Amino acid sequence: MPRALPTHDVLVIGAGLAGQRAALAAAAQGVSVGIVSKVHPVRSHSNAAQGGINAALNPGDSWESHAFDTIKGSDYLGDQDAIEIMCREAPEEILHLEHLGVPFHRNEEGKLGTRAFGGASQARTYYVADITGQAIMHVLYEQLMKHSADVERYEEWFCTSLAIDEGNRCVGAVMRNIRNGQMELFTAKNVILASGGNGQVWSPTTNALICTGDGIAMAYRIGAALMDMEMIQYHPTTLAKKGFLITEGARGEGAHLLNAKGERFMERYAPNKMELASRDVVSRAEQTEINEGRGFPDGTVALDITVVPRKRIHEALREIVLVGRDFAGVDITREPIHIKPGNHYTMGGVKTDINGATAVAGLYAAGEVACVSVHGGNRLGANSLLDTLIFGRRAGEHAAARAKRIEHGRPSNQTLEREERMVSEVVGRQHGSGRRVSEIRRELGETMDRHVSVFRDEEGIQTALEIVRRLKEEAASAYVDDRGAVFNQDVLGAIELGFMVDCAECSCVAALERKESRGAQFRTDFPQRDDEEWLKHIDLVPNGGGPEVAYSEVTLTKWEPQERTY
Amino acid sequence: MNFKLKVWRQSDAAAAGEWRTYGVSEIDSGASFLEMLDILNDRLVVEGERPIAFDYDCREGICGSCALTIDGTPHGPRQVTSCQVFMREFTDGSEIIVEPFRASPFKVLCDLVVDRTPFDRIVEAGGYISVDAGPKPEPNATPISPETQQAAMDAAACIGCGACVAACPNGSAMLFTGAKATHLNVLPQGQPERYDRSRAMVEQMDAEGFGGCTNTGECEAVCPQEISISVIGELYRDYRKSMVHVLRSRRGRMKAQ
Repeated sequence: MPRALPTHDVLVIGAGLAGQRAALAAAAQGVSVGIVSKVHPVRSHSNAAQGGINAALNPGDSWESHAFDTIKGSDYLGDQDAIEIMCREAPEEILHLEHLGVPFHRNEEGKLGTRAFGGASQARTYYVADITGQAIMHVLYEQLMKHSADVERYEEWFCTSLAIDEGNRCVGAVMRNIRNGQMELFTAKNVILASGGNGQVWSPTTNALICTGDGIAMAYRIGAALMDMEMIQYHPTTLAKKGFLITEGARGEGAHLLNAKGERFMERYAPNKMELASRDVVSRAEQTEINEGRGFPDGTVALDITVVPRKRIHEALREIVLVGRDFAGVDITREPIHIKPGNHYTMGGVKTDINGATAVAGLYAAGEVACVSVHGGNRLGANSLLDTLIFGRRAGEHAAARAKRIEHGRPSNQTLEREERMVSEVVGRQHGSGRRVSEIRRELGETMDRHVSVFRDEEGIQTALEIVRRLKEEAASAYVDDRGAVFNQDVLGAIELGFMVDCAECSCVAALERKESRGAQFRTDFPQRDDEEWLKHIDLVPNGGGPEVAYSEVTLTKWEPQERTY
Repeated sequence: MNFKLKVWRQSDAAAAGEWRTYGVSEIDSGASFLEMLDILNDRLVVEGERPIAFDYDCREGICGSCALTIDGTPHGPRQVTSCQVFMREFTDGSEIIVEPFRASPFKVLCDLVVDRTPFDRIVEAGGYISVDAGPKPEPNATPISPETQQAAMDAAACIGCGACVAACPNGSAMLFTGAKATHLNVLPQGQPERYDRSRAMVEQMDAEGFGGCTNTGECEAVCPQEISISVIGELYRDYRKSMVHVLRSRRGRMKAQ
């Protein structure tokens, strides 16, 4: 008996900030919307965004200044048309959020207050203590509740693959209900990917366990190009062992970075901006100190927050006080805390235009999964929340408009059967047929962190690529223990591993390809930026076994590349 | 370190569920409680037993996914989230009891995983600001004192984990509902719907089967986000005023002359 398929005009995959914003924007256009998430929406990783959101709202500030900072931060790899849009629309978005009830910080006069952030020429970061992401996400979720009649929520559904029709248009997706293991084909006129980045490919990482690059890999597999995949941000202040994040807001509030000798070493690397240079610059400075023996024995340098008044710490950095206390056993108001650069953000992703549309008709992407590219070679702190909201909204609006123009497509009949077979193949793997998922995952993370991190060279990346290709084969037979249907995280882990190795391979190939140093990509064998040859994006599309390299132009509007100093 | 774990096992929502006891040995004192469960699960699958299902995501105390009742206290004794509980806090060789967040509106879905969607429906009843029309006023035109902003933010810090409900002898969701309502009720933009919101959220809370508040204060004592019980007082006050609000609106609206 044929089952009734869940059908929507717009299907959003992922329910963090980008996904919720996209769903709300699409619903406002009056189309039918479904939003799917493999976790409950308010558990999404946008929660972890601490520091704030940038907008040129203060008198004396301008969107041009915000745009220039972003472009300079991107090491001129960001597309300037997209950056202009983001910075121009930022103030309106802040007002919108404020209006919905986000309790942004207010100063003594009762006006919106800002804090300084890295790479910015002015203090333009609006914030809710250091829980900005959480505060915005809960408020957007309230709005999603308000629209519960128009937006169908599928919580704890896992997307295994995107569905295409004969014309290679994206017309839906296959989902597994995590609660009972049931597989369903969802049909949609448009699919918006908002499933976040792939931080879990690295270990340690600041990213949550759910950030496994699902959307990036699924889009790639149906032929949407990936862009800037070599650009992986290492955040300057993460806790040594497990990679927990200490917000850039700490340095924004005035905290110092010290090496083991107690020197404020940023003087040598960024004499003007000091600790508030952009993240790639600070991370490289720290790593250089550590590599040259001026770090602590545990491979770290120190972040000294004690220079910030205690009252201010408790008011503006309270989450960090708890993180220091619970995970490092350090009272940050009294002593410096040991930190090092750690994997944090994927600048690259699914290539989209300024409306979130990808190369595959019917497929949109927004947020960390996407690469518009507003972040280029290096994202500025507090621009990621902005990216999710601006391009989430634009993708939602655009997809809704497209939905009104077209009819539903027909996914190929075999799509669901193919995915059901895939899952039963995974479940059916015999004990001892291969390595365990967790083992492969650990080797992948350590490999990428060793060779594709702050400093890279050809030999290292090549080594990583070879290991990743071996792991890719091993992942295809990785064995799972749990064969049940209810909350079977094991099967999902095996599928996620497949997504992760695809992402890792693309990052290695792109890092190997770019023979220069720009933003987060620092090649010790090519230490200079080379605008002649490399002021271009690296695009990757699948071709047989691995990614095929192509190039695309960087869009310049009014800012010519200059030398980049802080 | 070695421990004896008494864990609630329940294969699905319809199943009866039972206590099972497992030994875990050679656990690093620096391991977190969830890491200890991971180690146990790794062993269970090798032994051919179904791993213990439990909720987790960020594992740094911000997402609100994890929800374990440890030795009878939601999130354990230290007023943090379950992922921030470490094995060094327990006595070597002791027995630890692990069960899901218990409350009749939170149905156990599998082992230690409960259904917290009743919270969503409370928010859905009115825990939001409706602004669909009109220009957005310049925010600095309506100054908000830092104290007010702080009060809103303190309430907005709620991560919806549900520990307050599990800790309450009445199974009341007043701390959660109070936090959600207070966040909006103290802000200028939350004023127009303030009383309707309070009433609708409390009514939905009742409809979901949550109990009433009798000021035992257990909720505040376990809340990892340190939400103050004063939000319940705020909610009560607004809820009471909402009755008057209803009566007034029954008298009829102002008529054009």
